[in-house]
Formats: sequence, C-alpha cells, structure tokens
Amino acid sequence: MTSEAIYAKLTPVFSEVFDHDGIVLTPETTAKDIAGWDSVNHIRLIVSIEAEFGVRFTVQEMATASNVGEFVDLIRSKLP
Amino acid sequence: MSQAAALTFADLSEGMTAGFDFAIDDAEMRAFAALSGDRNPLHCEESFARARGFSGRVVYGALLVAKVSRLIGMELPGRDALWNSLQMQFAAPLIVGEPARLDASLTQVSEAARSVVLALTVTSGGKTVARGKAMVSVL
Repeated sequence: MTSEAIYAKLTPVFSEVFDHDGIVLTPETTAKDIAGWDSVNHIRLIVSIEAEFGVRFTVQEMATASNVGEFVDLIRSKLP
Repeated sequence: MSQAAALTFADLSEGMTAGFDFAIDDAEMRAFAALSGDRNPLHCEESFARARGFSGRVVYGALLVAKVSRLIGMELPGRDALWNSLQMQFAAPLIVGEPARLDASLTQVSEAARSVVLALTVTSGGKTVARGKAMVSVL
C-alpha cells in the first residue's frame, strides 16, 4: 500500500475519532495540531487505526512515532 | 458474582467470551424511572405499551447498557476496567420480564493502547435485541 493510500484510509479514522470532517493530515501533523487529541482520544485513535488496517502496535513503536508521517511509515512496515 | 474478576491485561486475548442471562423486572424498571426521571409511558404503563402494539412495557435501553456495565466491571475484564466508549444499536424491543442474555467477545487487544474492544449482543427468544461495541482500557 502506498503512503497516499494509507493517508486516504487514515484521514476518515481521524475524522471519526476527533469528530471533525475537515482534518487534513500531513507528515508533519502532531497532536498539538488537532483539537481534542488528549490521552483518551489517543487510545481511541490507536485502537481504531489497528482495526482499520488490521495491524497491531507495541508500546515501544508508539513511543517512537512523533508525527503522522512516522505513524504512516510504521503502518506501511506492518502491511504485507 | 459479588466480587469483580481481576483479569490483568496479560490475561486477555482475542476470542475470550463472557455473558450471563437476565430478565428486567418491575423493581428494576421502577428504580430506573426514579433514578433517571424518564417516566415515558412506553416503559411505565402497560395499557399504553399494549395500545402501541407491544406485548407489554418496553425495557429502557439504558438498562441494557447497565447490564453491559456489569459485564465490563465485574467479568471482562473486571476490577481493572476503565470504560472508554460504547456504540450500541437497539434492534428490537425487550419486554419487561422476558428472559434475555448478554454476550460479549473480545475482538481486539491493543497492547499499544493497553485497551480491548468487546463485541456485544443482547438476545431474547432467538432474536437480537441490541448489539454494540465497547472500548475498555485496563488499568
């Protein structure tokens, strides 16, 4: 799956979790760029992304992903 | 079960199940009406419910959610549960006194979020009364 395809699947997940249809994700997007990205929504986001892509993340992987671009790279590394 | 189960996060795996039989009686309906202030006649007046085509008073949907709370807080995962979210659809009415069953299965275990997802189904007399999904963190 290309990065573009991952962003296309990822954006609706962010929109659902943060209840905001206008979210535009870029590789540089971080938690401070999206209203409502608190600890509870972070949990919902991780669980929703795992379900959407059929992958599972570890705690260490989450700790190393500092922006959406790194998150997308992580997702891509887990897909066949 | 009077004490909550104490499953740790490591105890949890996809495919685990829990469930129990129940029936909502008049005392529970009255207690919920007093607690919530919802005295809608569909739930409180037998004649009104029958006149609207039901075989008796319709159980409050929130009382089915209360059973979900019992399952999460007491059984799966139990003591260390922190309930994050719930989606629930009410597919058919449950009538006061009708036997019913709540079943849950663990469909997702997220190590990164230290959370699990439960698929929920309430059935009665062979039909689905409600279905839903709950996300629960494990403390």
